[in-house]
Amino acid sequence: MGGFLYRWRRLLITVLVVMVVTVSLSLTARIRGTVIGLSNIINTVVSPAESSMAFLGRETGIGISTVGDLFTLQQQNRELKRQLLQYNSMKLELSEVLAENGQLRGLVGLEQKLGTWKLDPASIIARNPDSWFNTAVIDQGANNGLRTGMAVIVPQGVVGRVVAVSPGTATVMLILDPKSGIGAVDVRSQSTGVVLGQDPVTGLLQFQLFSHKPDILPGDVVATSGLSQYYPKGLLIGQVMSVAKNQFGLTETAVIKPAVDFNRLQTVMVVESHPSGTSIPPIFGGGQS
Amino acid sequence: MARFRVGTWIVLYLLALLIQVALLPQIFPNGYVPNVVLSVTVLIALYETPRRGMYAGLIGGLMQDLWAGRLIGLNALTFALLGYAIASLQQRIVHDPIFVPGLLAALSQVVVTPFQWLLLFVFGYHFSWLVFSRPLPVWILFSMLFTPALGGLLGFRTRSGKRTPYRSLSS
Repeated sequence: MGGFLYRWRRLLITVLVVMVVTVSLSLTARIRGTVIGLSNIINTVVSPAESSMAFLGRETGIGISTVGDLFTLQQQNRELKRQLLQYNSMKLELSEVLAENGQLRGLVGLEQKLGTWKLDPASIIARNPDSWFNTAVIDQGANNGLRTGMAVIVPQGVVGRVVAVSPGTATVMLILDPKSGIGAVDVRSQSTGVVLGQDPVTGLLQFQLFSHKPDILPGDVVATSGLSQYYPKGLLIGQVMSVAKNQFGLTETAVIKPAVDFNRLQTVMVVESHPSGTSIPPIFGGGQS
Repeated sequence: MARFRVGTWIVLYLLALLIQVALLPQIFPNGYVPNVVLSVTVLIALYETPRRGMYAGLIGGLMQDLWAGRLIGLNALTFALLGYAIASLQQRIVHDPIFVPGLLAALSQVVVTPFQWLLLFVFGYHFSWLVFSRPLPVWILFSMLFTPALGGLLGFRTRSGKRTPYRSLSS
């Protein structure tokens, strides 16, 4: 018997396996729910391991693809940086153009409002090499009809006056210069005086009042009085910041913040001629003076 | 010795003044524009004899005075003295292309500002010292950084750098 089994063992095992599989198939076809439950039990038992493996596999996959993507990303990053730089420079250019546009619109507006005035636009090309003297060089000169003494303005107010002229350029003494002096008036109280350049560092002006007891308050607007031989009447100079008695208490002095931002000054208007007695419209800071 | 001809000094000062009047006012606010002529004077004087240092300063200062068109002689006197002082000093100190020019330029700025304030006061410009000296930190910092950078750009070297730097111990 033992010899027979041993002799036909392979065939017997094959038949047995086929029978078991057949029975199993037949049984599992009938009791599907139990099999799924079994499968579920198994899955539940091995799920942590499955999850871990899946996680590892996923992470490895991501890692591999990341390594692969690195080259692409590097290239994309470079391209994006270049684009960002381009957009930033475009943004800067745009803001510059907008600022310049606003400035030029102001100048055009000024020129239209002052129809009877003869204005010559000019660009500032250089400043004084000494920090304590405030002059600027403009790109218009005697060839363009400029002469010494002409007032230089912007829509925000008075800038200075032409002190020297060459054929192609002119030097403008800004109102900040320590040697500058303008006949001025407090628009509210009509108190008159002289606005002097104080120092270029603070960028403030000194309003030396003529009257013994002038009526001047912080916040008052100061404009040119027209008494000066250079500046037409009613050009805005600035706003009073503080008022103080002078050393001997006889007169008062006010500190004025100029209406013009001298750090951003690029384009100016030279007043070549203006009808006598006319003043700048209030829209440009001119007042009731 | 790394010496420049007088013509080169003039060209250097011309460029310095151009930078000072046209480029730097776009960057620095009004009243805070640093003095590039000072840096050039310090650089030239560092490689010159006191007499030539003084001449260089005189030329640079005079050019600035003429350009400014106000107190002619203010910068000429200041920078001539500065050129002389730096050239005299450089014979007694160690040479270095970065720290020495930077420190000397900063020191020069510290000395030049009150000196010029005094000169201006004497000649009728009564600025408040507190206001006048307000941009000093900006100028000192600018001089400290700009002077060595300009020296490097112009290819300045120490005098010893021109000679053979090493000798055999046996010789």
